[in-house]
Amino acid sequence: MRPDDLKFQKSHEWCKIDGDVATIGISDYAVSHLSDLVFLDLPDVGSTVTAGESFGEIESVKAVSSLYSPVTGEVLESNEELGDSLEWLSEEPFGKAWMIKVKLTAEGSDLMDGAAYDAHCKAEG
Amino acid sequence: MPLPDQTDGQHDIGQRLRVLVDAPAEAAWNMAVDGALLELAEGPTLRIYGWQPHAVSLGYFQKIADFADLPKGTSIVRRTTGGGAIHHGDELTFSLALPASLLPSDIAESYVVLHDAIVRALAAIGVTCCRATSSKVATARPNSRWCFETPVRDDLITDAGKLLGSAQRRTNTAEPRVLHHGSLVLNQPQHTPFVAAVCDQVAITEVLRRDLQTRLIAELTNVLGLTAQPGERTAAENAMAARLCDEQFRNPTHLSRR
Repeated sequence: MRPDDLKFQKSHEWCKIDGDVATIGISDYAVSHLSDLVFLDLPDVGSTVTAGESFGEIESVKAVSSLYSPVTGEVLESNEELGDSLEWLSEEPFGKAWMIKVKLTAEGSDLMDGAAYDAHCKAEG
Repeated sequence: MPLPDQTDGQHDIGQRLRVLVDAPAEAAWNMAVDGALLELAEGPTLRIYGWQPHAVSLGYFQKIADFADLPKGTSIVRRTTGGGAIHHGDELTFSLALPASLLPSDIAESYVVLHDAIVRALAAIGVTCCRATSSKVATARPNSRWCFETPVRDDLITDAGKLLGSAQRRTNTAEPRVLHHGSLVLNQPQHTPFVAAVCDQVAITEVLRRDLQTRLIAELTNVLGLTAQPGERTAAENAMAARLCDEQFRNPTHLSRR
């Protein structure tokens, strides 16, 4: 079940903003198109991520894809268990498969609500 | 044999696939050019190239420590694409840099489309191979460090083993793009004898090399719905390739980052 309070960007990352902390992951749509995940690289705690820029990389089916941050801020937590438990991304993409938590400085300018994101995914095919 | 130029200047032939045919080059330069094409190529681009000297390319996430047994002096580079390591000897190597919209959004399906095109190109020169669809092959990366050692689903295989190495890098910015790497083995590399090769089935001659290249270009162009047009790299692409070569692919820090 996808929570209602998430924001999305076109590159299929989601974020949940709670006060000044943003939790970031990738959507079920993204996971379904990646399949057979094998490697994940996330930023270190204390590093800075920038809205619209790459914060990590994921490999599936011999393809490396960049992950793009929906927000700008300092990384407070990185989900270190996820790299060894990539099946979580299929099981709970909006739950225990969160990737990073960021102390929010600014949101990206093109974030969408769930309905707009669904329309985007439908258009993408 | 000239490259196939499907443009005649008189008809609307749709979107072009720029075709670049490069002389064999060092590993770092090869990867730098592909990186520049992924970043800068204005239109879909197919590049065909080779490796001089022969080299080993590591998948993006592989650990350099796992290759400490390679002979001293081996040319090694870290690709930006995924998958396992490849010993690049006598092979037909190609890269596609193009908008992601030209391929299925499902990554596995994109391999199917491109691999089926290569099956047709190989069949045209008398080489039989097929996509591995058996449930016996792995669905994800096997434990082997070498790309060719253990075929996975949708890899091109013959009775002798895996014939083609494939990998991708995808960007998902405002205009998502794909860099697809393909390594088609002509003669077996010295250090990886488990590789299948075109030479298992037909004699490798200069005529055959040119024929295979022509048919590969034609089949990839066709499956993408494009029209092949021979081209050159732009000055900006060359400049970026030079920068990437020095700062990234020749940089020992990049190679040893994992």
